Amino acid sequence: MSSTEQGTSSAAPAEPTTAPESAAAPEVPESFYYVHGKDKVVHKVSAGALQHSALIHGMISNLGYTEEQAKANPFPFENIDGDILQMVVDWCNQHKGKPTPPEDTNLPKQKEKLFDLVLAVNYLEIKELLTYCCKQVAMMVKGKSPEEIREIWMIPTDAEDEAAEKEAKKRAGKEAAGETAAAAGDAK
Amino acid sequence: MILSKYAFLIQKEIFHNMGYADLLMLSFVSKNMKKLIKLTQKKRFETISSITYECNGRNLPKVQIANKHGWDIVLDMACHQNWSILMEITKLGKGRYNNFQLNVSGKILDVLIGNKGDHPTLCVLSRDKESVFESIHNYFLDFFGSSVQYYWSVDGYDIPNLQNVSFCIDLRLAWQFREMEKLETFFSSSPVFKWVGLEAFGSSQPFNPESKFYQAESIRIIQLFHTFPAILRYFKGRQAILKCEEWQTSEGLVEFVKRWKSGEAFQKLEYLKFELLHGEVLEEEILDEIEAKYIDAKKQPPMHSLPKVYDWHHVPSNPNTDPIISHAYVVRQSDNRVASVLIQEKTISFGVWNRTEEEFLKLMD
Repeated sequence: MSSTEQGTSSAAPAEPTTAPESAAAPEVPESFYYVHGKDKVVHKVSAGALQHSALIHGMISNLGYTEEQAKANPFPFENIDGDILQMVVDWCNQHKGKPTPPEDTNLPKQKEKLFDLVLAVNYLEIKELLTYCCKQVAMMVKGKSPEEIREIWMIPTDAEDEAAEKEAKKRAGKEAAGETAAAAGDAK
Repeated sequence: MILSKYAFLIQKEIFHNMGYADLLMLSFVSKNMKKLIKLTQKKRFETISSITYECNGRNLPKVQIANKHGWDIVLDMACHQNWSILMEITKLGKGRYNNFQLNVSGKILDVLIGNKGDHPTLCVLSRDKESVFESIHNYFLDFFGSSVQYYWSVDGYDIPNLQNVSFCIDLRLAWQFREMEKLETFFSSSPVFKWVGLEAFGSSQPFNPESKFYQAESIRIIQLFHTFPAILRYFKGRQAILKCEEWQTSEGLVEFVKRWKSGEAFQKLEYLKFELLHGEVLEEEILDEIEAKYIDAKKQPPMHSLPKVYDWHHVPSNPNTDPIISHAYVVRQSDNRVASVLIQEKTISFGVWNRTEEEFLKLMD
């Protein structure tokens, strides 16, 4: 899966890892940016690869950073685990400047990894990868019974939903009562 | 993986990538889940043209949704009076099954569910079959919506009492068919059919002219003589396809056109195709007798084609009636509406336009 050499240092900012270039080297030198996740491992990614992410593309489009400035200011994505960001960077590099295929079979099969990947991809606004991930999530329940689906996606039962709703109402009532009491106190 | 932790748009995208059968199973997980599916898939469900309960050769239907290429099977159903036999039937699929309770439209049903291919099989005891199906249908009305066209498609005399369903039936009468009374009773006690297919070779006893059989919206008959059933005389629906083994004369057909022209019958008729399998069709003679009019030979006549009322074989590539392009036409006296008449070898096609003669002729300007 990985096309990026994983950095070894966990110090911040870590030495950047470099994504290998695709077969044909571009004629004009490409600009690079740097990103890191929760683990602070910095990934060097080309602007071309980052175009997949609407969020990052929007951030870099008007920056005009020099190589040094970009290196000194990696984009921090503290809400994304390092290994998940690595997967995202790999995917962006693999699909740089290429039309995306209808299927992607290289997505993680483990439930939790896939779950985190979906959250990261949604945050980074990578539309095509999000579509693949959602397809994969949908495939997890193909041909399953309602009980099996409940277990896989941890869906609460009606009774649990009702209890949660009651609890939320109770909490909201308490909060409202608290606010009224506070307001009355202020008035005095 | 906790589905509820995903943003609404992600949940929507996940559901969008699920087949109807899986969405149906997901909807049984909880009330909130069902609500969420309905909310996120509203537009998708609105594009469903029809849901068919297909019972051909079966005692409980297979539920199918028509798509561009054929069918998506949503749910298969099996019933037997013995629960352990049902379990065996269900295990024949992929060897997996679940025995659980479903709350379908407020009714708790004990069901077995297994997987045969890509769809679940719902197994019910024979004694529960009618109530189970009624509950399932009500569930579908709520889940997929009541704007979807629901068809009950059957090749026997088993018509359930269901609301918001159009019934379609395909019957073959044996050569020695002697149960006309039973057939008449069946039609009179059933709702008016959306579509009737009938192969009739052996009866000499006619239908009552007022039979609900003739009120079917669309009909496809393969018959020995055009007098049984006498579609050319008593049909009250919109579309008819007749294949007739032989005829003595074209009198019945000429009479049909004359009665249409006078406005005394066939007011709802949109399309009729009459195919004679053996015998002669005298084109000139028939056109003379019906006093056909003709479009200027130098002009290209317009094409008559309509969406089929119902397509028993569901051929998505061919959703319309066969095109009629003909210079010959007739005009109905009562409202000046036009019908194109095309005679080709042994086939006579009759297509009614929702246009007056003046409007019809303007189509070629």
